[in-house]
Amino acid sequence: MYNEVKAIFEPKSVVLVGASDGVREGIVSPAFFHSLVHNMHRFFKGKIHVVDLSGKLEGAIKNLNRVPRGRDLAVVVLPPKLVMKNWRNLLNLVIKAIVLVAGGFDQQQREKLARGVAKRKVCILGPNATAGVINTSNGLCATLERGFMPSRGGIAVISQDSAVGMAILDWARFYGVGVGKFASTGDSVDVTEADLLEFLMHDKETKVICIYLQTVRDGRRFLGLIREAVRKKPVVVMKGGTAQDERDKIFAASLKQVGAIRVGIVEELLGVADALAKQPPMPGDRVAVVTNVDGAATLVADALSRKGFALAKLSDKVTKKITRKYQDINIVEWVDLGIGAKDDRYKFVLEQVLSDHGVDGVVVINELKLSFLEPEDVQAIAEVAEKSKDKPVVSVTVAGGAGVLVREAVKGKNVPVYDSPEKAVRALDALRSYWKTRTRVEKGA
Amino acid sequence: MGLAAGNRKVAEILNSTRKEGRRELMELESKRVLAAWGVPVNRTELARDISEAVKVAREVRYPIVLKIASPDIIHKSEAKGVKVGLSSELELRQSFGDLIDNARVYKPDAKILGVTIQEYLPPAREVIVGALQDPSFGATVMFGLGGVWVEVLEDISFRLAPLSAEDAREMIQEIKGYQVLAGIRGTPPADVGALVDIIQKVGQLAHEFSEIAEMDLNPIFTFDDGKGAVVADARIILVESG
Repeated sequence: MYNEVKAIFEPKSVVLVGASDGVREGIVSPAFFHSLVHNMHRFFKGKIHVVDLSGKLEGAIKNLNRVPRGRDLAVVVLPPKLVMKNWRNLLNLVIKAIVLVAGGFDQQQREKLARGVAKRKVCILGPNATAGVINTSNGLCATLERGFMPSRGGIAVISQDSAVGMAILDWARFYGVGVGKFASTGDSVDVTEADLLEFLMHDKETKVICIYLQTVRDGRRFLGLIREAVRKKPVVVMKGGTAQDERDKIFAASLKQVGAIRVGIVEELLGVADALAKQPPMPGDRVAVVTNVDGAATLVADALSRKGFALAKLSDKVTKKITRKYQDINIVEWVDLGIGAKDDRYKFVLEQVLSDHGVDGVVVINELKLSFLEPEDVQAIAEVAEKSKDKPVVSVTVAGGAGVLVREAVKGKNVPVYDSPEKAVRALDALRSYWKTRTRVEKGA
Repeated sequence: MGLAAGNRKVAEILNSTRKEGRRELMELESKRVLAAWGVPVNRTELARDISEAVKVAREVRYPIVLKIASPDIIHKSEAKGVKVGLSSELELRQSFGDLIDNARVYKPDAKILGVTIQEYLPPAREVIVGALQDPSFGATVMFGLGGVWVEVLEDISFRLAPLSAEDAREMIQEIKGYQVLAGIRGTPPADVGALVDIIQKVGQLAHEFSEIAEMDLNPIFTFDDGKGAVVADARIILVESG
């Protein structure tokens, strides 16, 4: 399955099959096909063939038989009836993978699809994989939202549900969180989230795997793969439909047992994944808070305490080093740089704090700067954070507007930025949890 | 008992239950299964009539626990079929008749095999270990403190079987009432290590015998650290045959 799944994300050549004529029976929205063609032409770096069964789209081929055979991937935006009618031709066309975007296939049709690929080395993603597939590194943008392409990054997202999958990508864009690969699995007549997980755990570009589930299929295999995956990279799982599920406690426990990190909502998923993609795991509970305002640090300290973290006590050596250089810096529970702290201060103090053996991770606050935030100040934070290889650094503001400014200033840099203490602390919690998982794995291996 | 012998013995008991057209093992059978698997249970012997009861009780030694033995009565307390802490033959003779009478009132058509005479366990912290076959994850083990902790507070933890010792320890520490076992206000800690062992064994049993649909070891008397833990009552239910 590995090579076929690889072709879903890394095809050299792609055939886009649809029908541009909306009048045709059963086509929910011909606009989807137009968006798909638009997105692929705009972003994809490989070879594209467009087949329009309606024969109206300019530059498109009308007949499937006229497409050169041996294409890696076909993305098909056709209703069930037309897919079944052209099934043999589609199978002949493609050597590796088919993405079926439309839903509404009945049991008999699904069985026929599965039988069709069983004999060949071709896999099917879908049907009902409405949100399609994205790979930001090769520009594969087989999705139906026009012009929608996340920024590049180390996060891979697998979603059983297309709408939730798109919502995750939408928030990722909102928060400037980079995504490497995305796939919606839909009805999974063939490829399941477990197959994708198996591929992504070996994928060098993927730093963190996020999975949104509504039903667990083949639970034992799925959990076994997570157990294997966390040896290499963190796995974050979110599940919908838990309200009525009495067995959710069992699912929660089994995720914990295999070392996955579970989240409850989309924003939490992205916040946690962003930290895991950008910062090293956290080797303990002691957090140093470096701030330019006292009040925000108070709230961060509260949030830390609620998650079982302790405020780090800096060593005399480090304390002296800092106060010798900046006499007005106040170090009691946290390091108060003073409200007007500039990049040099942030940089020097962060480096000192990170060098302290009594510190396992750092939260940096850069607040009250709506009208005079200097990008250099925040970039200094990013610079130190990117160099830290064994202790995580996360940046936080208590204010939302300031959060936007800080985020903008470090866009594309490897420091996660949060707009509430709870989110920042949740991220540290995930980094600590992944450190524990890794330690456990290394001990057991 | 060696591993293979234990395995054979468990299979034997499960099969004979099945052959009699039952899905629910009696307490005595459930305990035999557990004992064969290396899980400590309190001594439990069947006595079919009063003279056997008197004889067995002498072997087990007073004080004893007396419970009705019937494949048709699962909820023994409900049937007024349990007497705890009988300390003499006189009490035994009185209670034996009572238990049989109570059972006949509770369920007139119940097949009554007699009673079980059981070793009385001194008071200890009570915990519950259970197992079930989850439709998507397979054998799953449950842990909780006895009584209101499980029934009212739903303070339970789960893990998939088989479990490592670390998994088992984590699931014990995960419940909110863990302090009860760790020791509060001067009480010594309970024998958590013994519970780890029981949990692991129950997990292994449910994992290897998927025909076991449910297991309920309730209560398990957990003594102070170093003094072990003993199953005082147990229920095993088989999956529907098909």
